[in-house]
Amino acid sequence: MKRTLSLLLVLLMVFSIVACSPSTPDTTEPSTEEPATDPASEPSAEEPEEPAASGDEDWEIVVVPKDASNPWFVRMEVGVNEFAEETGLNVYQRGTPEIDATLQSQLIQDLIAADVDAICVVPVDPGSLEPVLKQAMDAGIVVIAHEGASLQNVHYDIEAFNNEQYGAFIMDNLAEAMGEEGVYTTMVAHVTNASHNEWADGGVKHQKEKYPNMQLLEEEPRVESEDNGDVAYQKAKELFKKYPDLKGIMGTSSFDAPGVARAIQELGLVGKAFTSGTGMPADNAELLKSGIVKSLTLWDPALAGKAMCALAVKVLRGEEITDGVDLGVEGYTNMTFKEGSETVLEGQGWITITADNVDSFGF
Amino acid sequence: MSTSRRNVASFVKDTHIRRLLTLMILWMIFMAIFRFDKFYTFLNFQTMAAQFPEFGLMALGVMLCMISGGIDLSVVGVANFTSIACGELLKILAERSGELTGGGILLIMLLGVLIGAFAGIFNGLLVSKIKIPPILATLGSYELFRGIAIIITEGKAVANLPIKYAETIAGKLFGIIPIQLVFFVVVVIILSFLLNRTTYGTKLYMLGTNKTASEFSGHNTDTVLIQTYMLSGICAALGGLIMLANYNSARADYGTVYTLQCVLIAVLGGTSPTGGKGRISGTVLAICVLQMISAGLNRFPQISSFYIPLFWGGALLLVMVWNTITVNGKSGGGFIRNFLAQLNIKTGSGK
Repeated sequence: MKRTLSLLLVLLMVFSIVACSPSTPDTTEPSTEEPATDPASEPSAEEPEEPAASGDEDWEIVVVPKDASNPWFVRMEVGVNEFAEETGLNVYQRGTPEIDATLQSQLIQDLIAADVDAICVVPVDPGSLEPVLKQAMDAGIVVIAHEGASLQNVHYDIEAFNNEQYGAFIMDNLAEAMGEEGVYTTMVAHVTNASHNEWADGGVKHQKEKYPNMQLLEEEPRVESEDNGDVAYQKAKELFKKYPDLKGIMGTSSFDAPGVARAIQELGLVGKAFTSGTGMPADNAELLKSGIVKSLTLWDPALAGKAMCALAVKVLRGEEITDGVDLGVEGYTNMTFKEGSETVLEGQGWITITADNVDSFGF
Repeated sequence: MSTSRRNVASFVKDTHIRRLLTLMILWMIFMAIFRFDKFYTFLNFQTMAAQFPEFGLMALGVMLCMISGGIDLSVVGVANFTSIACGELLKILAERSGELTGGGILLIMLLGVLIGAFAGIFNGLLVSKIKIPPILATLGSYELFRGIAIIITEGKAVANLPIKYAETIAGKLFGIIPIQLVFFVVVVIILSFLLNRTTYGTKLYMLGTNKTASEFSGHNTDTVLIQTYMLSGICAALGGLIMLANYNSARADYGTVYTLQCVLIAVLGGTSPTGGKGRISGTVLAICVLQMISAGLNRFPQISSFYIPLFWGGALLLVMVWNTITVNGKSGGGFIRNFLAQLNIKTGSGK
């Protein structure tokens, strides 16, 4: 019994060392993507116990991304940590080790039980989060979502832009690459993902209005990449083989266009088939410079993370959120409500990345 | 009541259980020191009690199969398949009658249990009659159930379910006790009755300890195996029904992390991977410990979630190594002494 005890005590001590040293996660974290701007950017500023923060604004705001290791959300964490540093508030990001709707839901349940003040979430599968977000709202927690326009149980949902307009924006990029003619199809992470589908719908609508010489592939107008580069690649290969006429694929998730580009390159279709869509600059610099992909579209997840936190703070302060609200974050200075919605706020946060400017983003 | 006292005594004497209790108490002390106000709240315990039944039920099934000397890796597949089928039926029922009645919910639960039972019998047949090693048979059937589920749903989530079902199953009894916990407790009672008070239980332990001896004693081992996998299937199906309520949707890839977690729980709870040993109380305790640790870890923003898979995988291997060492050490006395003795022998023979 004694030996069992002593062994467990050792284990416990190891644990407490990990738990109590704020710098440990930074040094060992395998987040290769994390830019070198501020290496010790974990929530070290308010590390000890909560009540010490400024005045009565000792809120605990947690950002829950789809998962912790996806570069997109690693980038988001940079923005969240920046926000924490600028405001001195107890704001941090906490993700699940894998993309899994069940894990995300349980993490949020744990946060509710821990009585945090605001939860900012990027849902994996919006439908599965409704019950738990309702619990959060019932418990008086401020709930802000991003990329979850279909959610009912939220205070506000932030979109970097009007989804239809962003879809049209991707379509403009794709049409330019395709020479405004040919057959194309659309790719989304999951057909249940509200935002991705609205972009795709917006793109298709824009094409019908502006590019009459382009046609949507009727047999498979929308395919799924499951937020996974390999799936996007496999799917694209399959599509290009099955439909020799196919000239373009409009991507939405940040894995779509790069995955499709790999397929284009491998099948020797460079210059004959095209893709455009969301993509991270650093990951795709080679693709853009080699000309396989002419342009990618994007908004900065770091700014989106910051905007979510800023909105959460505004709601916690009891400020009224009206059309044209300024969150003090670039691209989110004039947020407007989506038509017919009282929860979805849209900014103007889109950008184009080309071979010329890909290196200028710093991530 | 003398038997129950004897049970309590043997409960505390069991090394695995003693170890788990120690671990649990230490973790509770640790949480008390570092996050008392965030951990020791009624809400937190209520949340934990609502969270663990879905994988706890699956872990009970895995435990049963491990006692028989096998394993069931298809639990998550069965659970998702069940929740998808029941989700579709829920939608049909709600469309037909407009309002979902209590009878409708009961009907759906019954269907879920039936699906689970059939899936389990299928596994049992593969293992007993066709004699495929359980690890391969159930891994195969996991892919099979997942495949069927993906085809039914085309990979999408079954959503927009009538909220009545989720409200009922994920609700609170008397506003306090999560209904999910009630399901779990009922299953635990039934299973411990089956294991401790029926001939099925005795046969199962015998089969796990020595299959040949069990056969020569005149037991129909095939029947026992089929019954065991059927019970596991039912447990998994109930887990799936609870998941359907918790997330108010179903999808072929929900809860994929539960497979490893269930095996971890069973081993942590003292179930022998080679069969013949294992008790419900140990498994339940292991579920509680695991839930407390995972909920507790979420109270520390400083611990990156990158560590969590490493932590669980490490814990599983550590427990198995520990079990081997202590079991070997039992005859000779102290485990450290034995461990050192073993080391000496090894270094000695090396020279």
